[in-house]
Amino acid sequence: MTERHADPLRALGLAILLCVCILVAALAIGAGTSRLSLMTICEAIFAFDGSRDHLVVTMLRLPRVLAGAMAGAALAVAGAVMQAATGNPLASPGLLGINAGGAFAVVAAMALQMTGSMSDGNGLIWYAFGGAAIAGFAVHALGSLGPGGPTSLKLVLAGAVIGTFLTSLTAAILIFDQATLDAVRLWTVGSLSGRTMGQVVAVAPYIVTGLAAALLLRRQFTTLSLGSDISGALGQSTLLWRTISVVIVVLLAGSAVALAGPVGFVGLVMPHIARLTVGADYRWIVPYSAIGGALLLVIADMIGRGLFANQDFPVGVTMALIGAPFFLWLARYRLRSS
Amino acid sequence: MTSRHVVLAAALLSVPALLLASLALGDQTVSRADLESLVDGSATEQIRMIVLDLRLPRALMALTAGMALGIAGAIAQAVMRNPLAEPGILGINAGAALAGGLVIVGLKGAGATLLPVAGFAGATLMAAAVFALSWRNGTSSLRIVLIGIALGSLAGAGSSFLIAFSDVADVQRLMIWLSGSVYAASWETLRLLAGWLVVPVALAGLAFRQLDLMRFGDDIAASLGQRVNLGRAFLILLCTAISGATVAACGLIGFIGLIAPHVARKMVGAGHARMIPASALVGGLLVMAADLIGRTVIAPAQLPAGIVTALIGAPFLGYLLWGRRHAAQ
Repeated sequence: MTERHADPLRALGLAILLCVCILVAALAIGAGTSRLSLMTICEAIFAFDGSRDHLVVTMLRLPRVLAGAMAGAALAVAGAVMQAATGNPLASPGLLGINAGGAFAVVAAMALQMTGSMSDGNGLIWYAFGGAAIAGFAVHALGSLGPGGPTSLKLVLAGAVIGTFLTSLTAAILIFDQATLDAVRLWTVGSLSGRTMGQVVAVAPYIVTGLAAALLLRRQFTTLSLGSDISGALGQSTLLWRTISVVIVVLLAGSAVALAGPVGFVGLVMPHIARLTVGADYRWIVPYSAIGGALLLVIADMIGRGLFANQDFPVGVTMALIGAPFFLWLARYRLRSS
Repeated sequence: MTSRHVVLAAALLSVPALLLASLALGDQTVSRADLESLVDGSATEQIRMIVLDLRLPRALMALTAGMALGIAGAIAQAVMRNPLAEPGILGINAGAALAGGLVIVGLKGAGATLLPVAGFAGATLMAAAVFALSWRNGTSSLRIVLIGIALGSLAGAGSSFLIAFSDVADVQRLMIWLSGSVYAASWETLRLLAGWLVVPVALAGLAFRQLDLMRFGDDIAASLGQRVNLGRAFLILLCTAISGATVAACGLIGFIGLIAPHVARKMVGAGHARMIPASALVGGLLVMAADLIGRTVIAPAQLPAGIVTALIGAPFLGYLLWGRRHAAQ
């Protein structure tokens, strides 16, 4: 397959993937204890009449599916940006300390009783977002300071160090505080249960901004991914673009952590799945990651609700159960020996 | 160069200093006169028990485990050619965590004695599975990394399930075990661990040339005469044997395998002949200091060594990476 034929094919694939994603989202809204037809869903969204079915759609199912799709897309794109900026296949949004920072802020707030309970979701998402953002910028600052300027080695080490530091603090709190452990353990493995439209709307601007920025700048990420020697020779300022990357990742992954908890899998694996499918070009990896991540999280949540008949089944678990075997197959059979 | 020597000498001297502090400090402080009485044989039964049966094996266990993890980390980073690599990349941590979680949740209190076995079995099974699935006309570092991520996430999903849905007291016990600690150290467990480690650690020390070659990448290593796939399989086996045994003895002390090699590289450079011993030294010091701090600072409660390791290790590495004036990278 030559390059000229490859691009229309990739665009077609992307369009098909988008259609599948929308279809699955509609299915996910319809599936559940009370099955709803496509007609009912459309009416509930466009001609709301206050009936019970319409309330189920707008109050419960739609926010949940939207939260899943947004968090999945955000995490996957954030992961792709991280892998481009660091040139490390082990990089994920978690490597900026986002997950650890969000989890630490939530656990600390719970242990110090600054927020009522886990059901007080509105306070919670801002603790998670704030913790994630502070940790992310601290990692970036630490990775850019000192002799030698901002190298990717320093960035990933700073991320690993701050992440482990915060995770250890969180574990130290949880080991001594059983009540907090009981309250947050479902959240820490990633869960979409109890998301409201208010929370989705509150976080949506950040995710939309981040996604739009990542999609607009995807050409620059391809350059960045070639490493600082080559990208510098091509006239790209490493420090500037790494800062932009960090801002995008914090916006995206911080909001995702606020919505769905510190789920790790999608941000790490979805960019690899995209890369193994469409090649190492971030112009395609970014959009494929976005739609693929949304699709994976929505499917995982639907299966968690349907198969296990449990509203609280953590989406982080189902996601890994579905995604990991597929990724395993890709890594084994699609990875060309370099 | 002189500053390097100063740091190295300080690190070497810290070992006996920390060991003495570990013997002396605790719920009951042992005075210098009491420590001397142990040497000339006139110590009381109580002092003898506290120092020789409780504190000495525990301190030595921390030292041994830390050294082992430092060596395993150095091997992992060379084999994967990735600065973020650590033994956990081979799925060792995730496998051990899942096996340990199943034992704790499934057998309740009765499982405590089975934990080391389960940890070791989980770790080695996972490492074997990662390596087996990565083998396709030979291996590649990137494929091992990706397969390690995939299998690690699967096992992690299992652990997350246990954390979300088991009895909260079991979850707390699991978290303590996962944090990694040397509470349970005795002469017997120390002998077991040390005996198991002798051969793989000696082999790792002898393999420094292989490790140096491996860093250059498969093509260059092969053209310099290395049998790349065989060497990689052998080194992964060593890494698994070392860190699996440590997981069995102390649970998951996660930070050392990642950080000790980087600190060691700053201290003595990238050549493995000197880097491996330095990494062992740094790892041993960190875990010993972490255990001492963890059991004295908030006494009578204790913090697991694995948690304190990260709390003191992170600022320490930050100082080394950002405070010193040579930009080695």
